[in-house]
Amino acid sequence: MAGAGGGGNDVQWCFSQVKGAIDDDVAEADIISTVEFNHSGELLATGDKGGRVVIFQQDTENKSQPQCRSEYNVYSTFQSHEPEFDYLKSLEIEEKINKIRWLPQKNAAQFLLSTNDKTIKLWKISERDKRPEGYNLKEEDGRCRDSTTITTLRVPVFRPMDLMVEASPRRVFANAHTYHINSISVNSDNETYLSADDLRINLWHLEITDRSFNIVDIKPANMEELTEVITAAEFHPHQCNTFVYSSSKGTIRMCDMRASALCDKHSKLFEEPEDPSNRSFFSEIISSISDVKFSHSGRYMMTRDYLSVKIWDLNMENRPVETYQVHEYLRSKLCSLYENDCIFDKFECCWNGNDSVVMTGSYNNFFRMLDRTQRRDVTLEASRESSKPRQVLKPRRVCAGGKRKKDEISVDSLDFNKKILHTAWHPQENIIAVATTNNLYIFQEKVN
Amino acid sequence: MEYKVEAHRIMSISLGKIYNSRVQRGGIKLHKNLLVSLVLRSARQVYLSDYYSGVCLNTQHVEAKEWELMDSNQEKPLTPAPEESLSPSTDCNQNPVVPEDPEVQHTSQAVEDSTDLHSVYSKHQAEEESSSEDSTTDVSLTSSPVTCESQCEAKGAEVSSSDCEADANPATVTEGNSQQPPKAHSCSNRKRTAEKTASNDSPVKRTKVTSSNSSEEEAEEMDTGNVSNLITIFGSSFSGLLTKESSEPEAETEDSDSGSGQICCDQMLKNLNPWSTAIVAF
Repeated sequence: MAGAGGGGNDVQWCFSQVKGAIDDDVAEADIISTVEFNHSGELLATGDKGGRVVIFQQDTENKSQPQCRSEYNVYSTFQSHEPEFDYLKSLEIEEKINKIRWLPQKNAAQFLLSTNDKTIKLWKISERDKRPEGYNLKEEDGRCRDSTTITTLRVPVFRPMDLMVEASPRRVFANAHTYHINSISVNSDNETYLSADDLRINLWHLEITDRSFNIVDIKPANMEELTEVITAAEFHPHQCNTFVYSSSKGTIRMCDMRASALCDKHSKLFEEPEDPSNRSFFSEIISSISDVKFSHSGRYMMTRDYLSVKIWDLNMENRPVETYQVHEYLRSKLCSLYENDCIFDKFECCWNGNDSVVMTGSYNNFFRMLDRTQRRDVTLEASRESSKPRQVLKPRRVCAGGKRKKDEISVDSLDFNKKILHTAWHPQENIIAVATTNNLYIFQEKVN
Repeated sequence: MEYKVEAHRIMSISLGKIYNSRVQRGGIKLHKNLLVSLVLRSARQVYLSDYYSGVCLNTQHVEAKEWELMDSNQEKPLTPAPEESLSPSTDCNQNPVVPEDPEVQHTSQAVEDSTDLHSVYSKHQAEEESSSEDSTTDVSLTSSPVTCESQCEAKGAEVSSSDCEADANPATVTEGNSQQPPKAHSCSNRKRTAEKTASNDSPVKRTKVTSSNSSEEEAEEMDTGNVSNLITIFGSSFSGLLTKESSEPEAETEDSDSGSGQICCDQMLKNLNPWSTAIVAF
C-alpha cells in the first residue's frame, strides 16, 4: 500500500468496504457515534448510540502484494455501556459512546478507553486461540466425569482452537463528572489520561479508578455568569505536561501541568478576532469549536467549528495559520439550520499520517479533504451508489446559487439528515474510515 | 419590520428548544442550551432595539441593578402546570401567576431606552401594584396569541400575565402585538432571580445562559419533575451576559429608579419567600 505521503488531490480514493445495514430505516441504536483507528492502524473501532463497540481488524495476509487491498473485518463486538438512571437527579444517562481512544500496545492484548456521558471504561481485548483439553476430572463440555471410571492420571494440554476475541472491562472510572463528558485523551506517558466535560477536566491514572484530579474547572461560582463551556480537550502527542481545551466561544487554551495543580490559568490562548462583517444571530453558535486535534508532529493543532477548519501553529496565538471553508454555502442558511438543529452538529476532523492533508465531514454524506501542501480541496461522497468495488470516488460540487452546472448539486437539495460527523485516517496508510449515520465506509487510495 | 418578525420567530424557536431539551433523553445539555440562550439574547436585543433607539448605559445599568435586586428576592414560587404555560395558546392568563418582579419587565424594556426609563418604571409599578395581589389575574392580553405563547413560556406559572401585559404595553405602544420579547424577557428575569438563590449543583438541568435567557429558565420551570432543580436553573440568571453588556457590577444598588423597583421587589418578596426557603434547603 502506498504511504501516507502525497497530497489529498494526487490521491484518488476508491471505495473499499461499507459496514452496517443497508436498510434505510435507521435504528437509533445503530447510529455511529465515534470512529478511531488504533496506533498501528490494524484495528478500527466504532462506537454507537446503543452503547456497543465494534472493532474491525485489517486483514494483513495480502499486505505484501501491492495489488491486493486489505480489508477490515469484524474482530470483536461488545456492549460497552448500558443506559443508567441517576436517581438523585432523576436523569437518564445515555449509553451512547461519545469517544473511543486506543492505548498504545504494550503486550499481546489491546486496550481502549470508551466513554459515555458519565463513565469511562478501560477495555482489554485479547485473543484466545488455544484452550486446555484433556482434564482428568471433567469432560470436554464441563460435566464431571464419573469418578469410578477414572483409572489413570492425565494432564490437560493446550490445543489450538478457533480464534476467539474476548473483551473484558478492566477498569471503570465513574462518578467524576457532573456534566456530560465530551472528550478523553491518553497522555503520551501511557500512564495517565484526561476526561473533559462541559466545565471540568479531570486527570486519571489508568490504574486508579477511585480517584481523579481536577485540572481545569471553569465553573463560575455563580452559574448565572457562565458564558462558555469546554467542548474538546486533548493531550499533546509528545509533551506529557501539555494539553489543550477548546471552548464554545471559539478559543483554545493550552495548559502546562507543571505550572500548577489546577490549570485554570492557561499558558497560551489561541483566539482569532471575529470578523464583524459576518455577525449574525448565530455567530456565537458557529464559532463554537466542535473538535480539536494535534498534528502528529505536535507542532500544529486543528480546530473545527461549524463552517470552517483552522490550523494553528502552537507558536502563534493570535490567529490560525490556515483556514479552510468546509461548506461556506451554508452561511446564508444558518437560520434554517438553527431551526432543524443542524447548527448544533459537532463535526470532527482528522489529520493524515504525515500531517499534509486534513479531513472533515459535511452534509449530504459529503466529506472534505483539505490538502495543506498543495492548497487544494476536494469534496467526496459516501454513498451506496458509489459503492462498487474499487470504484473511484468522483469529486462533488455544491452550487451555492445562480446557475447550477451539470453534476453540481444545489444547496437546497442537500440532505441535512445525512451527515458525516466522524471520520478517521489510518496513521500510516491512505485508508480512511467515514461514518455516515449508521454505515461505516472504508475508502482506500487507488493503486494502479 | 421584517427583522423584528425574524427576531421574534427566532425567539419562539429558541424557547421551544429550551423546553424540549428538558424532556429529551440524557438530561439537559449544557452546551446546547447555552448556545440557544445566546441566540435568544441576540434576538431579543434586535427585537427590542427598534423600540428604543440608542442603547443607553444608564438603561443597562438599571437593568443590571434590577436583576441584582431580583436575585436578592429569591425564587418565585414555582407553580406546577408547566405544560400549560408552554402551550402556545392563550392559557397563560389562566395560569396562576405570581406577580413577577416588575423590575424585570422594566428592565427588559429599559435596556433600550433610558429616556423612557422612568416613565416605563412608573407605569409598570402602577400596573404592578394594581395587579400584583391577584395571582390568577385573568388579564386579557392585548398582545397576539404569539405574545401570549412567549409569555407563557417565559413565565411558566410564575409570571403574572398582568405583569407581562403591563410590561408589554408601554413597550409596544407603537408595535402592536409584538409584545413577546419584553414579556418573555421579563419573565425569564424573574425566574432567574428565583433560581439564583439555589446554588445547588444541578448541572445537568442548569442552562447557562446570559441574563436574557430567562426563557430558558422558564422552560425549565415547566418541568414538574424536579422543582428544586428548576429553581436552580431559573435562579441562574446568566448575569455573565448581562455583565458583558453593561459595565456596572451587578451588586450596585439602584439609582433613582430603584424606588419603583423596590416596591415591586417587595411585592415579589411576599411570594418568593416560601420558595426561596425551599430552594435554600435544597
